[in-house]
Amino acid sequence: MLLHQVANFKKTYFLINKHTPLQNILSIHGISKSYGPVQALKQVSFTVPPGCVFGILGPNGSGKTTLLGTILDVLKADAGTYEWLDGMQPDAARSQIGSLLETPNFYHYLSAIENLQIAARIKKRGLDDIERVLGIVGLLERKDSRFQTYSLGMKQRLAIGAALLGNPKVLVFDEPTNGLDPAGIAEIRDLIRQLNEQGITIIMASHLLDEVEKVCTHVAILKRGDLLLSGPVDEVLRSEDQVEVKADDMPALQNLLQAMPGVAGIKAANGIFILSTENGISTRDINAYCANKGITLSHLLLKKKSLETKFMELTN
Amino acid sequence: MKELLSIEWLKLKSYRTFWILTGFFALLLPLWNYGISNGIVQLGGGGKGGINLFSQAYSFSYVWENMGFWSSIFVVFLSILVIIITTNEYQFRTNRQNVIDGWSRLQFYHAKWYIVFVLSLLTTAYVFLVGFVFGAVNGSISDFPGHIIKLFYVFVLSLNYYAFSLLLSIFFKRSGITIGIFFLYSMIIESFLKFLINWKLDFHAGDFLPLQCSDELLPFPILDIVKALAKIEAAPSPLPYVIASFVWIAIYYFVGRSKLLKSDW
Repeated sequence: MLLHQVANFKKTYFLINKHTPLQNILSIHGISKSYGPVQALKQVSFTVPPGCVFGILGPNGSGKTTLLGTILDVLKADAGTYEWLDGMQPDAARSQIGSLLETPNFYHYLSAIENLQIAARIKKRGLDDIERVLGIVGLLERKDSRFQTYSLGMKQRLAIGAALLGNPKVLVFDEPTNGLDPAGIAEIRDLIRQLNEQGITIIMASHLLDEVEKVCTHVAILKRGDLLLSGPVDEVLRSEDQVEVKADDMPALQNLLQAMPGVAGIKAANGIFILSTENGISTRDINAYCANKGITLSHLLLKKKSLETKFMELTN
Repeated sequence: MKELLSIEWLKLKSYRTFWILTGFFALLLPLWNYGISNGIVQLGGGGKGGINLFSQAYSFSYVWENMGFWSSIFVVFLSILVIIITTNEYQFRTNRQNVIDGWSRLQFYHAKWYIVFVLSLLTTAYVFLVGFVFGAVNGSISDFPGHIIKLFYVFVLSLNYYAFSLLLSIFFKRSGITIGIFFLYSMIIESFLKFLINWKLDFHAGDFLPLQCSDELLPFPILDIVKALAKIEAAPSPLPYVIASFVWIAIYYFVGRSKLLKSDW
């Protein structure tokens, strides 16, 4: 064994023993679920590593909420299994997880405080944490008002507050910024980042690419129940560069570029070629390559493909 | 059990409907019986001319027959309460939230069953209290306790009605439709079925329908008196009805349980 391997091994060994030996916060194996003829989830599998902000991204109706409902045991999967916190007993695991699923669920006739007392008791958490979470979500002034008098945004905040009770290890949010005004949205995104910095793993569903891109470290993309991709955001949502080129002798240019290493595809459009590139080929490389082979480019433009376009391509 | 019940209590103690419905039961039971024992409800109209059919009925030991029969009517208020607090959970989706927060599905179910059980005990205790006061006021305390076995039947009947209401709520989920079905079944469908079955069969199988078997334990009290006076055949042993009631209650429990464990919430 090489020295640095030994060092790495020791480091890993030390980490495993010193800290919580958590391998995966959540692992999902082949979950399928249908509502009558509609297949809501098809053989979905992925794992959520500790410490990440894991986004489940997909358009409306892609199965995000069904997936979250299944792993929280309010929906029954037709097939497949899931495991929380390396196989902890599911009820115990859920009490360590703060969740906000779809809509805020509270007793309409009870106040914020009374509702949180019930949640805290079920989670087996102390009641002394209630004021703190109400403070975090900015509801201290309205803590004694009945839930049914709350606005949509306040209901959403209360639900987030309830999820924070007792400092859970994991937070599961379904569309956490739903119903909030722009200031509220920014606030909640900041809160999610802060919580993640404190070491809390966050799993959130969203149909907003922008939100996932801004907040998440990992992502799984769902489309009509199919898991399209999953992994770190910068890998899955990597923006591919496109280069537009033009020369007087287009056929010669095409032959030349087809032979060039690092050019993955050539598409003709409006009298120009659009190249998709790989391996970090730059416009400068292309220019130099063509010049070397005796072709002068009359047009050379680098276009960053937007994530939005990529997302639409993936999900449509 | 204590933990589940105390969490359920948090859900109930500030709920106005809970207090209104228990209030109805708690007030109407003594008021109604007071009215009857004082001859407000009597043959030939009120006042001096009428005949008070029930004047003797509120001393020990007949007080238990009376209280038992009228409670079997008034438990409907508490059945509605059970329906409302259970369907509320579906309406507010707090059934999901309770599970998301860490209850198992069974814990959620058992919490409601504990409520049903405790509510039946409290109903029985309250009927005892009211019956004891009536008995003591209208007759001699030396005759206490009398036919106090009827109190046990009150318990069986309450448990049957409340558990039946719980099962209906789990299946229909909406308070309006569940209350409608509860009344439709208990007032019309079951009477019709009982009539039909008893007419078709020699054996009175119709008396063993889900709620009817408990109703048989607490028949209209005047009939008992008339039967006794007229020396009509001795009343059949109540034991089969007690057993039938508990069999039905067990069936409600297992049907509800398998529904909750298997289905989506």
